[in-house]
Amino acid sequence: MLNVIVPGLAIGALYAAAGIAYNVMFSTSKVLSISTGHLSMLGGIFGAFFIGQLGLPVVVGLVGAVAVGVAVGFLTEIVAVRRVLARSDEHLWLLSTLGLATIIQQAIGLWWGTEPRPFPRVIPQDFTAGLWDQKFWLPVVALLIIAAGMELFVRKTMLGKVFVAVSEDAFAARARGIATDRIRALSYALAGGVGAFAGFAAGQLTYAYFAVGLILTLNGFIALAVGGLGSTIGAVIGGLALGLLTSLATALVGGQYVNTVAIGLLMLVLLVKPEGMFGAKKVRSV
Amino acid sequence: MALSIAAVTKTFGGLTALRNVSLSLEPGEIHGLIGPNGSGKTTLLNLLSGYYVPTEGAISIDGVSFTRSQVQDRPGVGIARTFQKPRILGTLTVLDNAMLGGWPETRATFMETALALARPRREERKIRAYALEILAGLGLGHLAHLRANVLDHAEQRLLEIARSLVMRPRFVLLDEPAGGLTGTEIEQLGAVLLTMRDAGMGVLLVEHHTDFVFKISSKVTTLHFGEIIAHGTPEEVRRHGEVIRVYLGGETT
Amino acid sequence: MTSVSARGALTALCLLAIYTFPLWTPNLYLLHIATLVAAYWVLIAGLNLVVGYAGALSIGHVGLLSIGAYAFAILVGKYGFDPLATLIVSGTLGAGCGFILGLPSLRLPGFYFAMSTIALAMIVAEWSLALDGLTGGGTGLPVPGFNSPFNTPAGFYWLVAAIAGAVTWMTWNVARFMWGRALIAMRDSEVAAASVGVRIPRMKLIVFTFSGFTAGVAGGLFASLQSYITPETFVFELGLFFFVCIIVGGRGVILGPFLGTVVLTALPELVGPLAKLGSLFYGILLLLVVLVAPEGIGDFMRTAYERLQKRPAKKMPHPDPARLFAAIAKREAD
Repeated sequence: MLNVIVPGLAIGALYAAAGIAYNVMFSTSKVLSISTGHLSMLGGIFGAFFIGQLGLPVVVGLVGAVAVGVAVGFLTEIVAVRRVLARSDEHLWLLSTLGLATIIQQAIGLWWGTEPRPFPRVIPQDFTAGLWDQKFWLPVVALLIIAAGMELFVRKTMLGKVFVAVSEDAFAARARGIATDRIRALSYALAGGVGAFAGFAAGQLTYAYFAVGLILTLNGFIALAVGGLGSTIGAVIGGLALGLLTSLATALVGGQYVNTVAIGLLMLVLLVKPEGMFGAKKVRSV
Repeated sequence: MALSIAAVTKTFGGLTALRNVSLSLEPGEIHGLIGPNGSGKTTLLNLLSGYYVPTEGAISIDGVSFTRSQVQDRPGVGIARTFQKPRILGTLTVLDNAMLGGWPETRATFMETALALARPRREERKIRAYALEILAGLGLGHLAHLRANVLDHAEQRLLEIARSLVMRPRFVLLDEPAGGLTGTEIEQLGAVLLTMRDAGMGVLLVEHHTDFVFKISSKVTTLHFGEIIAHGTPEEVRRHGEVIRVYLGGETT
Repeated sequence: MTSVSARGALTALCLLAIYTFPLWTPNLYLLHIATLVAAYWVLIAGLNLVVGYAGALSIGHVGLLSIGAYAFAILVGKYGFDPLATLIVSGTLGAGCGFILGLPSLRLPGFYFAMSTIALAMIVAEWSLALDGLTGGGTGLPVPGFNSPFNTPAGFYWLVAAIAGAVTWMTWNVARFMWGRALIAMRDSEVAAASVGVRIPRMKLIVFTFSGFTAGVAGGLFASLQSYITPETFVFELGLFFFVCIIVGGRGVILGPFLGTVVLTALPELVGPLAKLGSLFYGILLLLVVLVAPEGIGDFMRTAYERLQKRPAKKMPHPDPARLFAAIAKREAD
């Protein structure tokens, strides 16, 4: 049983982190970026690059990977979101983030290669630890740090409160003098850091692999939809549930139907409770 | 032949937007609906056009109730509506926008249309001819082949009315059509509405420009906090104490 | 010569060039590309109604292509069915799956729906790998060609081009009659659409079913052209490509996406270095178009052209009440 639960929690933690990244970006822009999963992918790839290829110390590699995530998150807002939000067509941001995500994935594929490459050890540990291997508990620890950090940020810091203000009523926030553009860019940078941090922590689980981006975009979205848009705890529960479910399915029917199971879960939840477990019910506006 | 709402109440959670409101829109008349912001005018309009369902009471035409039916069914019973912010399809031409009003009478199926059979061709011809006439009648004829997003505000409002007219409605509900119009444009709008009235339509005019409303309406209803506080001819309502106190502001002269 | 007849002559000339292509093409490789373009266009023309006119963001339509392709490969390759008849089967299967694909669009907002189409494509890919008894799994399946007279490169080209022409004609008809306006209303303003009585769920499902049919047929043709298919043939990037052709070509038009398909298919094939960049190029193009010319390149050029033209003098609208009254009264009498 444990060898189904532990891997499931581990990958589920990564999904949950992607869901949280979605939430952070959505909170200030009402945009769900297709490049969300790619932030974690970059964390994994650049972690492997800095530590494995360049031989830098682990801490430097971590900081570097997170910095890449922050930069790309920031870039996403400036390039793919800011100008597009100014126009009225609400689906344009889907196209622009899709374009950006494709660019990121393909560029990384061309540079790093399209085969998964190993991610180096972060903490000295031999490979006989079985279920206690760091590749399983690092992502979970990362998720806990992220979730706790998000809660603290929103409740205790001024900036966090500003985020909430902008997410609830951007117009009013602007009227109060808040620079919504800058806040939005900051939130995207934060999401980038969160995603990259989680991707780094999960690097030994997923390997440094360019295709992880799209997979995480989809699964992170499932975590988000199941848990409820806008809810950190929802993303956590949704992600972990998804991870456990796919792990269980793999054990029962083999890994060939993983996506089917995941999407089946999504469809089920959306049918029964479209706003997710902890999501806010949509208010109709005419 | 009237469109009527009878003893309608509409609540949203704890808020009562309309309380026991009755109103009748007859063909061949302009019925003005005025009231301060928050008085329930928009709610009433949304009820009539199918966005809301009454909590109590009924909506009916010629005595036949259609309380539960939705927005998409309203054209079928002859109700057309314009919006506070004109909902125009900017990438289509003015003519295309007007022709959209011909959709309720379009019977051609997808396959018939795809194969360019007789029925879609015939319907296209008829609707196009009628839309061009309506546009000409509204003074938009010279703009027919321009993209709708180059129109200014007044022209867009007229275009929305054109689309409504192409629907061949019996009743037209107008949501603050004079908003953002200059004096001359409001006069032109008035001429259009009077023509619609003379042609036998029942026009519900929800408006803030009270002078305009009083000038062209046959009857006026005043709402305040979801209740009717006055109803009658423009002269009667204009002199009504409550209305003056609540809405027109200032002392009675 | 009026501009209408000039455009008509140009169209006739282009059609002539297209349909006589095998006779004047310099080599068979170009003929192969042209056939590929035509097969893609069978799908994209149908998808255009969904994405460009109805406004539903189906990025995963490649899943329907895959279903049509595998159905063709299995029925014709393994069981010896007649290829032409099997095209109908592929189309019908695609239509059914298109209907299913359209169902989430009725309830899910844009992003959620786009994700669900990607999810569907992934499920199809997963199953085509997993059901290896039927589909050959990772190894894939060989796909036979058609019977005479379509078993030569030229003959097959004419078959695909004819089907593509028929689909184009059908979508052009839908676009220029009332259905086209109703679809665009559904895309750009559901409020306006509802106010004229458009039944949005029904309309969405109809276009999705139609686009599924064309995707299925395209799948059969594509599979036969490639002569061998594996799950890797139908990757997400192919679905992205279809989507980009429409967005770059422009929504709400037929010609734009067609030119987009021609250019974006031929370019990587003909321009060596671009072939390696493949999807990176599509991503850059998509982003650029969205930022600079969101209505597509064709529209961008048209707007630029219109801006250069002299504007008609600004005239205030003068309603003509008598004429309006006459129009309404006359119609009442009809």
